[in-house]
Amino acid sequence: MPEWNAILASFTTPEHIGTTAMSMLLMFPLLLAIAIIYKTTKLRAFFWKTMVRETIILFGVLSGFMILAIVVLNLVVWLMTS
Amino acid sequence: MAYRTKADFLLWLAVVGLAGWIIPGGGHFLIQQPKRGIVIFVTITLTFCLGLYIGSIGVIDSVGGWAWYLGQMIATPAVRILDGMTRSGTYISRGRPCDLGQIYTAVAGLLNLLSIISAMYMAYSGRGELIGQEDENA
Repeated sequence: MPEWNAILASFTTPEHIGTTAMSMLLMFPLLLAIAIIYKTTKLRAFFWKTMVRETIILFGVLSGFMILAIVVLNLVVWLMTS
Repeated sequence: MAYRTKADFLLWLAVVGLAGWIIPGGGHFLIQQPKRGIVIFVTITLTFCLGLYIGSIGVIDSVGGWAWYLGQMIATPAVRILDGMTRSGTYISRGRPCDLGQIYTAVAGLLNLLSIISAMYMAYSGRGELIGQEDENA
């Protein structure tokens, strides 16, 4: 029972998240969720192997574009401030 | 499945949509797509809970963050209960954790909207039943 209370209590106070580059990693669980739901709803026939493969591909594409956007935006800021 | 009238068919579509709203993935269970239902339920529940864990239940704020609240409400009607708990102002969330929590919970809601539309479309076109049989035979 104390463990259950501790788990519930962890949802009542925000986590500390600083403005660091590491905090960008929090976008990946969200991208994974988007890729999973999109492929789950879009696949015509649901087979686990196909589902996993398609999800990994979409997750990779989404992550790639996000990383590219981060690099480009950082480059723009660096050019403007240097 | 044969429907007696058009009203029966529309009622069935509404039931599928409602089930998908009350429990994420519930609509897919009704149209005999349990695998899709399980994946949707687990993914949306985890995304929503991760948002609540990061920003606390304070991210559900129907007054100060009503636009986010609309998205959160699509995830499940249980959000209304959480909103009642946070109305007192005991659970306050500010800054970056609040932003991330709101994004996670609202995106979970929007993903559930996609799932609800998918379940209703499958029920409308009868795809769920046909593909469900293909899955069983595989």
